[in-house]
Amino acid sequence: MSLALALVVGALFALGTFLLLRRDLLRVVWGIAVISQAANVYLVSVGGVVAGDGDTVPILAGHGAETPATADPVVQALVLTAIVISFGTTAFALALTFRVHAENGTMDVGELP
Amino acid sequence: MTAQLVVAPILVPLVGIVGLLALRRRPRVQRVASVGVALAYAASVAWLTYGVVLGPGAPGAAAYQLGGWEAPIGITLVADALSAFMLSIAAAVGLAAVAFSVVYVDRANQRAFYHPLFHCLLLGVSGAFLTGDLFNLFVWFEVMLLASYVFVVFYGGATHTAAAFRYLTLNVIGSVVMLLAIGGLYATTGTLNMADMARRLAAPAVYGVDPAPVVGLGGLLLATFGLKAGLVPFQFWVPDAYRAAPLPVTAMLAGVTKKVGLYAIVRLYFTVFAAADLAVELPGITGDSALAVFAPVLMAMGIASVLVGGLGAVARDTLDELLAYSSIGQVGFIAIPIAVAAAADPAPSGVDPATSLRGLAIAAALVYALHHALAKGLLFMATGAVRSATGTNRLADLGGLAGRSPTLAGAFFVGGLSLIGIPPLAGFFGKFLTFGVASDWLGLVVRNGGAVWPPAVALAVLLAGAVLTIVYATRAWNACFWGARTPMVAGAAVDRREVAVVAAMAVAILAVGVAFDPVYRFASDAAVAALDRGAYVDVVAPTGGEPP
Repeated sequence: MSLALALVVGALFALGTFLLLRRDLLRVVWGIAVISQAANVYLVSVGGVVAGDGDTVPILAGHGAETPATADPVVQALVLTAIVISFGTTAFALALTFRVHAENGTMDVGELP
Repeated sequence: MTAQLVVAPILVPLVGIVGLLALRRRPRVQRVASVGVALAYAASVAWLTYGVVLGPGAPGAAAYQLGGWEAPIGITLVADALSAFMLSIAAAVGLAAVAFSVVYVDRANQRAFYHPLFHCLLLGVSGAFLTGDLFNLFVWFEVMLLASYVFVVFYGGATHTAAAFRYLTLNVIGSVVMLLAIGGLYATTGTLNMADMARRLAAPAVYGVDPAPVVGLGGLLLATFGLKAGLVPFQFWVPDAYRAAPLPVTAMLAGVTKKVGLYAIVRLYFTVFAAADLAVELPGITGDSALAVFAPVLMAMGIASVLVGGLGAVARDTLDELLAYSSIGQVGFIAIPIAVAAAADPAPSGVDPATSLRGLAIAAALVYALHHALAKGLLFMATGAVRSATGTNRLADLGGLAGRSPTLAGAFFVGGLSLIGIPPLAGFFGKFLTFGVASDWLGLVVRNGGAVWPPAVALAVLLAGAVLTIVYATRAWNACFWGARTPMVAGAAVDRREVAVVAAMAVAILAVGVAFDPVYRFASDAAVAALDRGAYVDVVAPTGGEPP
């Protein structure tokens, strides 16, 4: 599981960085979005995904069901906050992209004043 | 009662934002109310400072556990002398900037959202100064940044949107790096509460913590905070963003939000990370805590900032660009004493932390931060007054303003002299203490037989930076206020209310310089608070986790 998460985080960061370095404004915003989500996946993974028991999943344990593997709930709460912030920032960046295009008549980062 | 005071500087802007939004259809009332909220904010900070730090029988530090959830799981707000000192800077500049905004920014532009956003900026700053929790530090940074993004794009022209896009992209990357570092620190220490983290790092064996990754993760945080503070090599967003934002907001950005990055550096490195006792051995760097790596890096960043900012400011043609570059250089003057504090030995037993080199150096940095906030706030607002009187701030188009408005010229002169460091202004003490700790460091190295060149280079660069400051401050003054009147100046109409705000800041700079003793004692208390890890942990009293 750790290996899979590490690969996902690495791939997302690579993709995000690639997009951030494009000349097209919209791709840069995509890069911002992808790289923010990469950080979120990384945050979930630092909590460590462990086999669950009655302490980590009390509701399921009380019903005698099989408890699945879980991550640290603290990091999940943090990621929830981070997701809200990154969505807000991405939405603002998209609106800003529209304004930049309207003001400058170009989507090319290199042609901005 | 003291604990409840801690939340006041957050509640006041929060309630203020809601109230100001409710008043959005009554612009005149909203403007008056906005100044009222800024006054209430300053009063809450003064009350907090008096009740927690300066008053008779004050406890020196207080913690407020939000919702009654105890640290380390709950959200903790901590006010100590360091937080109170930084909050006082924010309150002073914030009040002046709101008052200046009311007269300077066009009425149409002030409608609806200018004032709520301004208080949102103050809210983010207060939260960052008060939080006792690493993740909440990130959240408050975002609150502050989101407001500042809107201000950078405020006028909505071609250059403003482009500057805002660059500012946004850089800061999002900075935030991602900060999240990575916070996640890593959580994985390393198992806690996000700063007091709990300090406690765990101080006794790694007891808590089963390996403190070694803290050095690298602290490096990631340093990059983020360096970006927020506009230190070289992260300075390139500064001139564009400062030119794009409305000038009263620029005064806030340069005076206050930059200092949040420096505050975070002092708080995290000296109060939290320095707790870890770990042998660092890298090529050319050896030491016994994370500070050993951090000191040369921050020193290099500070030295580069002084040079880049100073040389950049000398070469600019407009007043706002000149001041933006100057603020890169001046932040370097704050970073250098912090780096000296990191390089100095921790206070040996028997030495009062307030008079140890580390304590003196942090106090010097704080005094410089106060001086820079007041002086640069004054100069940016004076630029605003010049621009609204003459319609320009190009140095070539200005001249002879002194004859048009002696008060404005006098206030600008005070700000410029304070930047240069003429007694008895606040800037003199900032420069004096900074040079003092740099030469103390040189003396210490000579006595202990270490490498002499780092302190010698630092001193030489400080000297060069001071000379560059004289050059660009003189140039700005001569070009704007001296000489023959240009046609634009001859037709200028100086707004008396704007000049009044600028003059009030000049009086504040003079007052800090004249009555320097209490200010220094406050800064010294703040430096001791930054170094007194035990007191910080005690006041937060994290109960969770395994007992020590």
